[in-house]
Amino acid sequence: MAKTAGKKSVTRTGKASAKAPRRARQSAAKAAPPASQRVDFFKLVPKPRFVGKPVKRKEDVRLITGAGHYVDDLRLADMLHVEILRSPHAHARIVSMEVEEARKASGVVGVFAYKEISSLCGDVPLAHPGIPDLKVPHHPVLADGEVNFVGEPAAAVVAESRYAARDAVDLIRVEYEPLPAVVDPEKALAPDAPKVHKELADNLSFSWEVKGGDLDEAFKKADRIIQQRVRSQRLIPCALETRGVIAQYLTGEEQLTVWTSTQIPHILRTQLSGMLKLPESKVRVVAPEVGGGFGSKLNVYAEEGLLSALARLVAPRPVKWIETRRENMAATTHGRDQIGELSIAACADGTVLGVKHDCIADIGAYHQLFTAIIPTLTGLMLAGSYRFPAARTTLKGVFTNKMPTDAYRGAGRPEATFIIERIMDLVAAEFNLDPVEVRRKNFARKFPFSTPTGLAYDTGDYEKALNQALKLADYQGRRARQAKARDEGRLVGIGLSTYVEICSMGPSKGMAAGGWESATVRVSPTGSVEVLTGTCAHGQGQETVFAQITADVLGIEMDQVKVQRGDTGNVPWGVGTFGSRATAVGGTAVFEAARRVLEKMKKVAAAALGASAAQAARVQIKNGKFWAGKKSLSFAEVAFQAHRGLVIPEGETPGLEATYFFEPGNFTFPFGAHICQVEVDRDTGEVSIQGYWAVDDCGKPMNPLLIDGQVHGGIAQGLGQALYEEAVYDESGQLLTGTLMDYAVPKATHMPWLHCERTETPTDVNPLGVKGVGEAGTIGSTPAIVNAVIDALRPLGIKHLDMPLRPEKVWRAIKKAAAAP
Amino acid sequence: MKNFAYINAASEKAAIESMSDKALALAGGTNLLNLLKEYVLAPEALVNIKGIAGLNAIESFEGGLKIGANVTLSELLDHAEVRGRYPALHQALYDIGTPQIRNMSTLGGNLCARPHCWYYRYEYFDCKKRGGQGCAAIAGDNEFHAIFATDGPCVMIHPSSAGPALVVYGAKVKIAGPGGSRDAGIEEFFTLPAAAVARENVLKPNELVTHVLLPPPNGKSATYEVRHKESHDWPLAMASVALTMAGETAQEARICLGAVAPVPWRAAAAEAALKGKVVNETTAGEAAQKAAEGAKPLSGNKYKVQLVRTAVKRAILAAATGRRV
Ligand SMILES: Cc1cc2nc3c(=O)[nH]c(=O)nc-3n(C[C@H](O)[C@H](O)[C@H](O)COP(=O)(O)OP(=O)(O)OC[C@H]3O[C@@H](n4cnc5c(N)ncnc54)[C@H](O)[C@@H]3O)c2cc1C
Repeated sequence: MAKTAGKKSVTRTGKASAKAPRRARQSAAKAAPPASQRVDFFKLVPKPRFVGKPVKRKEDVRLITGAGHYVDDLRLADMLHVEILRSPHAHARIVSMEVEEARKASGVVGVFAYKEISSLCGDVPLAHPGIPDLKVPHHPVLADGEVNFVGEPAAAVVAESRYAARDAVDLIRVEYEPLPAVVDPEKALAPDAPKVHKELADNLSFSWEVKGGDLDEAFKKADRIIQQRVRSQRLIPCALETRGVIAQYLTGEEQLTVWTSTQIPHILRTQLSGMLKLPESKVRVVAPEVGGGFGSKLNVYAEEGLLSALARLVAPRPVKWIETRRENMAATTHGRDQIGELSIAACADGTVLGVKHDCIADIGAYHQLFTAIIPTLTGLMLAGSYRFPAARTTLKGVFTNKMPTDAYRGAGRPEATFIIERIMDLVAAEFNLDPVEVRRKNFARKFPFSTPTGLAYDTGDYEKALNQALKLADYQGRRARQAKARDEGRLVGIGLSTYVEICSMGPSKGMAAGGWESATVRVSPTGSVEVLTGTCAHGQGQETVFAQITADVLGIEMDQVKVQRGDTGNVPWGVGTFGSRATAVGGTAVFEAARRVLEKMKKVAAAALGASAAQAARVQIKNGKFWAGKKSLSFAEVAFQAHRGLVIPEGETPGLEATYFFEPGNFTFPFGAHICQVEVDRDTGEVSIQGYWAVDDCGKPMNPLLIDGQVHGGIAQGLGQALYEEAVYDESGQLLTGTLMDYAVPKATHMPWLHCERTETPTDVNPLGVKGVGEAGTIGSTPAIVNAVIDALRPLGIKHLDMPLRPEKVWRAIKKAAAAP
Repeated sequence: MKNFAYINAASEKAAIESMSDKALALAGGTNLLNLLKEYVLAPEALVNIKGIAGLNAIESFEGGLKIGANVTLSELLDHAEVRGRYPALHQALYDIGTPQIRNMSTLGGNLCARPHCWYYRYEYFDCKKRGGQGCAAIAGDNEFHAIFATDGPCVMIHPSSAGPALVVYGAKVKIAGPGGSRDAGIEEFFTLPAAAVARENVLKPNELVTHVLLPPPNGKSATYEVRHKESHDWPLAMASVALTMAGETAQEARICLGAVAPVPWRAAAAEAALKGKVVNETTAGEAAQKAAEGAKPLSGNKYKVQLVRTAVKRAILAAATGRRV
């Protein structure tokens, strides 16, 4: 795995040093290995001052005091405002659109529909998932004669104020001919189902399969075959900041700038360039502060293309669109929405031999960027942390008249984890075993571990995390108290989940776009340090972690480091922040670039101090100074010398910056054990969480505070899926849960006290040893909570319930069970 | 939201003169501003009533309390007498929204708040309250709608959590209008959709709630609500109970349900069932059964019938024992 910095890596200083005279190279090699060789962070910095410490977030002061700038906070001179007319129908033909009245309204600059825009802006793109025969419908940025979900953009008004634009939207008269809508993915597969896209043969967008091991053998050997249908319901990501776009086209300079709330400015730039037929060099994308994304801003949206096209039409005036909450709920990607039919081959001792999983993914009306890819991750991660030898997932991606699904925190893994962790409990219940023992029986124990679905887990120690969680939760004592409570007729349940997930996306070979990440570390003549990262944080705290890493490598204070992100005009290139990749992939790029800057600074210091070759080979940093022999220069003095250009060491060039593209050799596989205790109210079906214990292992911890933040937030969202959240469309395809008063995200008061600990199993995939933790909480918590509720209901004979476990559903199940003989 | 004029009313009189069906009173705005943003209401003017002197005090009054309409829910919650003598009101207010919402929301606004029916709040749906022809809730997803008085033109539930508690205490509402001031009994204040589907109470467009008058409590009281912690939490069913006790026996019982009908819903049969009985699990359970009698749930909310029983039983026991059940 140490050969990660392979052919695809490009390093400026690395290249330069290759030209250095032989002697210099050799002596440098003795002092420190050449930068192109793998050096682990903790070798280079054995006693970090910042990494691993609970350092407070650099970004918080401005964010908490409201001094940060989100898209909506940007006000450009002469700015125009855009409001979008959206489809009120789930499926309809646009018979006519009358825009004259709107066009004449006061303050209106223009009203635009498909025919005005189509020559300027092509279809909304998708990342090709490599699935053969994938059906991809025409997906214009404004409806082309037909609308396919409630909230689909149909026309845009540009006006002098947001109010004028919104009022004018009401003046557009559209005659729709409603067409039959299909909202249930299983019904959508019926031969006589209404078609979402008339140009396609049917509603099946794609079929996909992953399998490994001998399933026939597994099912033959099994003592019992357990069947279960499970659902991961449709969720709405609900980032606190809705989307928003400002676009400006400067005609003279031929320069388009797009400010947008995105997780992937560079990918977006490439895609916009394709949509708009402008070379990338003329497109700049800027993501200002981004107020949460959870995957919902890991996309290329119709509005981003639309605003860019409008900017060209009204150039050079900038245009601005800010999404309302209602629009966000209806027209920003949704998550999950999978139905799985499971067959489990199991032995009476709790050993699982094989799993068959037939999955239907409701992908909504179109393909967004990763719509097709997300559910394939469910298939890939089906083995969970277990070593059963045979597994198969068949997947059908089905069009319905709803908002497309795409990445949502966890993206395919929460679904997989829910399945496999429910399976462990189903097996335990079937044979009356302790769910802990069933897990122990099935754990993968040798690493790297190859799954039947073709993945190679890097490192892990699942039993260790489980044992620590059991201790933390006092599992034995808790089970004893549960038995007593049951005797009193109370419905108390304990649930666990021992998840593994796939992170640090990823090696380029496993990704639809590149899987590397870039970083530039640049030191100015006065010694101030800039880190430019291709990741694009939206709440994770990357500014803090990257400053921690850089400050430790360069021996400076964190305050001296400014982390820049989100601007393609500034950051050379990048992939973005998603898939718990930023620290593992982007952080490594930062580390590698910083390390190269350090090497050069040592050489410059030695040259400037007139050091002997022996001294030059042993330059050290102490108390913020570079020491060669008894003489020293401060960090700023070395930086100045590097720019002054008089004492540039042989083979080096002036300036002080390094850019590094890190290509990871594999994914990483963090894991953990979550335990939850609940009590169910018999009279109402309400679930109350009585305790929650989590032990997570994300490799080397870079900053425990940030890890806790990620885990806590993740658990909140996982709890939301388990108990409260569900995007509800009625039969005609109207979104009923279209506001935060109707869609049930958990609040602070719904959170139990979380007892969190960690184990540390470093990865060997990157020199930081770090795996990723952005999604772990979401992935681990949902099954733990559901398993706890089902465990509470076990005395009544209830084996499974679909999420969300809302009180009415639970109460009905209790009532039905009581009525059963 | 549509543009609107903003009028700062310095006195009751000024407010009343400015108010009409196109110029709405603005108190805390926690309800009204949402409706404006969603284009459910598009008045030409808002009349800010928060600057009116004398509407933001809680005073002692005939052994009870006189509460100004502009008193916020937070102020009520913090008030020692509300906490000590009117537990049913205190408990009803306790779980409303969030601290931020309670800091802004006024008692007057709470009594006059518009329904949170998701069809009413969504412009794409037909709604009689918004002047439409039909009611999307009757055939649609109505799990959060009424289970009593469901034969009317609108199956909303009244949004006020304070309402049922005020009913069991026999509160009065002081109303100011062009012709002067009058007191309405709290139960007369709320009106059923059959009376006038566009509104929820007796107020005319140019009338203002100025005070709520709470008589002295005579007995024990409590509120229990079933609130599923879904979204920003509205109760699914709630019950306020006031008992005049002689030892263990309930001499008088007043029971009012919330979130189950277009008005706070008095449960007279349950009151009669409890009257004269020793209050215990059994009698509370019997009264709870009575409270649910007469419910006519819609296609999707039979579950609320069970919740009514649970809420009533637990509220009775909580009132009698002074403990939360
Ligand atoms: C997320 C959320 C959750 C909530 N949960 C609950 C809950 O569980 N229980 C509950 O009871 N409430 C709940 N509420 C509603 C909240 O209590 C009301 O929004 C609030 O009480 C309204 O008070 P306000 O002062 O903000 O009224 P405003 O929004 O200012 O006004 C509301 C209406 O009353 C009229 N009005 C206001 N004052 C007067 C007056 N003195 N005379 C005549 N008309 C007047 C206004 O014209 C307007 O039509 C919730 C609200 C939100 C946003």
